[in-house]
Amino acid sequence: MAQIENADPTAPVFHARALRKIYGAGEAEVCALDGITLDCHPGEFLVVLGASGSGKSTLLNLLGGLDTPTSGTLLYRGWDLGGADEASLTRYRRDAVGFVFQFYNLIPSLTARENVALITEIAADPMSPEEALHLVGLGARMDHFPAQLSGGEQQRVAIARAIAKRPAVLMCDEPTGALDVRTGMAVLEAIEKINRDLGTLTLIITHNSVMAGMADRVLTLSDGHITGEKRNATRAAASSLAW
Amino acid sequence: MSLLDLKLLRDLKALKSQAFAVALVMACGLAMMIMTRSLIASLEATRADYYRDNRFADVFSRLKRAPNAVAAQLSAIPGVAAVQTGIALPVTLDLPGVLEPATGLILSLPEQGELTLNRLHLRSGRILVGRESSGEILTGEAFAEANRLRPGDEIAAVLYGRRQNFRVAGVVLSPEFIFEAPPGAALPNNKTYGVFWMPYKELATASNLDGAFNNLSLRLAPGASEAAVIAAVDRVLKPYGGRGAYGRESHPSHTRVRDEIQILQGLSVGFPLVFLSVAAFMTNAVMSRQITLQREQIAILKAFGFSNREIGGHYLKFSLIIVVSGMGLGTLGGIGLGHQLVDMYTLFFRFPSLEFRLATPVVLAAIGVSTLAAVVGVAGAVKAAVRLPPAEAMRPEAPSSYRPALVERLGAGHAFTASFRMALRNIERRPARSMLTMGALALATGILIVPNAFRDGIDYVLNYQWDLIQRQTVFVSMIEPGPARTLADFQALPGVVLAEPVRGAAVELRSGNRFRRLAITGLPPRAELFRVIDAQERPFTLPPHGIVLSSKLAEVLAVNVGDELAVRVLDGRRPEFTVPVAALSEDFAGTAAFMDIGALNRLLGEGDRISGAYLTVAGGKWDEFLRAMKESPVAGGVVVKNRIREGFRETTAKSIGLIQMIYLTFATVVAFGIVYNSARISLSERQRELATLRVIGFSRGEVGAVLVGELAVLTLLALPLGLLIGSGFAAAILTTVNTEFVRLPLILTPYNYAFAVLIVTTASVISALLACRRLDQLDLVGALKARD
Repeated sequence: MAQIENADPTAPVFHARALRKIYGAGEAEVCALDGITLDCHPGEFLVVLGASGSGKSTLLNLLGGLDTPTSGTLLYRGWDLGGADEASLTRYRRDAVGFVFQFYNLIPSLTARENVALITEIAADPMSPEEALHLVGLGARMDHFPAQLSGGEQQRVAIARAIAKRPAVLMCDEPTGALDVRTGMAVLEAIEKINRDLGTLTLIITHNSVMAGMADRVLTLSDGHITGEKRNATRAAASSLAW
Repeated sequence: MSLLDLKLLRDLKALKSQAFAVALVMACGLAMMIMTRSLIASLEATRADYYRDNRFADVFSRLKRAPNAVAAQLSAIPGVAAVQTGIALPVTLDLPGVLEPATGLILSLPEQGELTLNRLHLRSGRILVGRESSGEILTGEAFAEANRLRPGDEIAAVLYGRRQNFRVAGVVLSPEFIFEAPPGAALPNNKTYGVFWMPYKELATASNLDGAFNNLSLRLAPGASEAAVIAAVDRVLKPYGGRGAYGRESHPSHTRVRDEIQILQGLSVGFPLVFLSVAAFMTNAVMSRQITLQREQIAILKAFGFSNREIGGHYLKFSLIIVVSGMGLGTLGGIGLGHQLVDMYTLFFRFPSLEFRLATPVVLAAIGVSTLAAVVGVAGAVKAAVRLPPAEAMRPEAPSSYRPALVERLGAGHAFTASFRMALRNIERRPARSMLTMGALALATGILIVPNAFRDGIDYVLNYQWDLIQRQTVFVSMIEPGPARTLADFQALPGVVLAEPVRGAAVELRSGNRFRRLAITGLPPRAELFRVIDAQERPFTLPPHGIVLSSKLAEVLAVNVGDELAVRVLDGRRPEFTVPVAALSEDFAGTAAFMDIGALNRLLGEGDRISGAYLTVAGGKWDEFLRAMKESPVAGGVVVKNRIREGFRETTAKSIGLIQMIYLTFATVVAFGIVYNSARISLSERQRELATLRVIGFSRGEVGAVLVGELAVLTLLALPLGLLIGSGFAAAILTTVNTEFVRLPLILTPYNYAFAVLIVTTASVISALLACRRLDQLDLVGALKARD
């Protein structure tokens, strides 16, 4: 079985060709992704837009190593991510991917610092939890439990947790979906800062087209196909966005 | 079927393994209760029937010799309904193919008709009736079975110094010997001790008791005073060497059965109660979680117009189904185990038929109690759920708040890993649940200590009695006390290396209004073969004056060193005197009193006499010694130490083995049930958290560790607590075995502790692994999308 150690650092971070994902079988068969072809490069900031059911979450699941494609090629730095087994996928998620979810998914019994430490304890070359929390502007609230933090603060802890391992890619699934505008803005600023300062390939999946302005490249998904691709000449600052 | 019931069935199917775990724990408690209560009912009812049908006597006495005419005097005592006189003699037996002699008691059958009291129950062969005397005897069943004797077989007996061959005419049972063992024995040894009957004439001739009797049984008229009759009997028998009458409460066979029932009574309440409480807690945990998970469903049902009563009933039904399965399993298990234990009891107790009788009222009560426990267990959760207005119930529950655990607040948390902190904080957040889980695991550990403590206690006692105290190879008793020079005859037997005399005297010891009848054992002051041992396990020299009592006897008589004790000798010249208590000795079986043999003989005033001897016999000459012994005219009884010891071991191994198996099963079930259930509930509650960990790169094993970390901590805390509780259980139960017949010391070995820890740890680990297998089914993506 292909090992993630075989990854080629000079290759594109993701290389997808004719990627298909079919759920169910027979009558109940649903084609969630139908022939996706895509390359993603280090340091890129991508926003994937789409309505619910467009296949954007499925794409994130495949790229994030949470699921495997039905057919097609999916390489992570030349390594066959699409054909990896359970153990290699776990290893891939642990070393290469940072996830940020809509509902933060923090461990309620651990403080902000400890939620981050959870990752730094197992990662290969992590930064300290304190450093990660400073990066997202939460240096002062490190010893608070999730229940003592606001939604925006919780999401920033989630970002710190995602980037503390210095991942190759940061995947954010509707990161502001549960937040009001002001706190959502702060969260996006944090993501932008990570992308800029650490050069992490960043993918944001959202149905909120306002975020498109901060991306290098914007992909539009509908019905399992990439229906649009747009490059921004300049990236708008997160603080300038409004929705 | 209503739709709610359909939902119930499907929910149950999804929860089947958890429901099963709860039902099993409940079944254990119920099985224990049914088993013990039914055994008590079986023993009590069988005994009552047996006593009534076979006319078991109420008062008993032995005497030296009284003419048969005295029986009329005894019948005339007010309150006496029936009198049975006869002869009872010790006997030594020579079994075909068995070198070592067995001893026993031989009783007479009346010259005319059947026994009036203590009638025999024929098992096989025929009863000997009337004057016929053709060298035939009846044999007690326990001895016959142990030695494979059948009607028609021959055995040789040395009766009153004369060797004679007898044919077994029949195998019988007697209500006087339900426990067929020498008086004071804690366990039977049926290979070396038996009870026999033969026609009066033959026995009387052999023992020079023709026209006389030395054994008496009486039945009391309804309402008669036992104490008054005993006093009157003693007065009548005094000139004939009466040894003191006693009632059923001092009858060796009767008391042994009574003690057993007492022990069962103790077991029938405590353990089942604890098991049922654990089961109630588990039901509550499972149902609370189920109701939390179904908050929205409850809200929807209410929004559709289902009443609180209907919804409450739905969840109650859910828990009642668990109760009913537990009851079914428990009843079947209790009946099954009860039957096995009845079989075990036939090893000890001989009834015409000891049948398992289900204690139905108890079963019904147990079912009632368990149902109530289950209802109470879910009532709270159901109440909280139905009280929520639908709109509120459809909103997710507020996020749970945490704080650092106590150990961390005390500043000791720096070195902990994140998963360990999670475990600690989860434990502290739900203190009641954690305590109950830990309590149940401690209980599982604790109950494992009991049977091993029993076994170790018995081992200790066996070694104490037979290595520390008794160091002889054989004990030879004489039919009647004889001159001290008889010791030289014993010394001269082939292979005898050392012979030490012993003088026994039947006495009544009295201090104030407390008294006991037993034999004072007279020994040489520094006896080597039978040693008197003090509380520090050191042998000590018998003082030239005064009496040494075993500490149990001193306790019974409420005397201490230095107190005076009134002694009434029940034999021979029947002198009465007082002696000071010179010291206390320690032993575990029976009660004992010792004196310097010279001092005892002086007080008895019959000159230098001995009533037996302790002998060590050289191994090489063993067979030769035994042959000579069987022929010896002076030896009334021979007790081979190792044979008794072996018999003891065999019986204890069988009974303790079964009990141990039962406790082991129950402990495993509790440990397994509680760990599995807690892990499953925890998995359900923390699904999202665990899925998150998997997504961010934790391996399945690491997530498993987070899942069971809490349980691992609780198990580790429970183990020492369990050992403590178990030691307490063992101490409490062993003190119930603190009778005048036998006492068990509390011996707790590292092996015992290690065994308990090993079993509970293994059961916990296996059930945790089983629960962890569910992690594979964790829906990673789904758990991240859903907001609880």
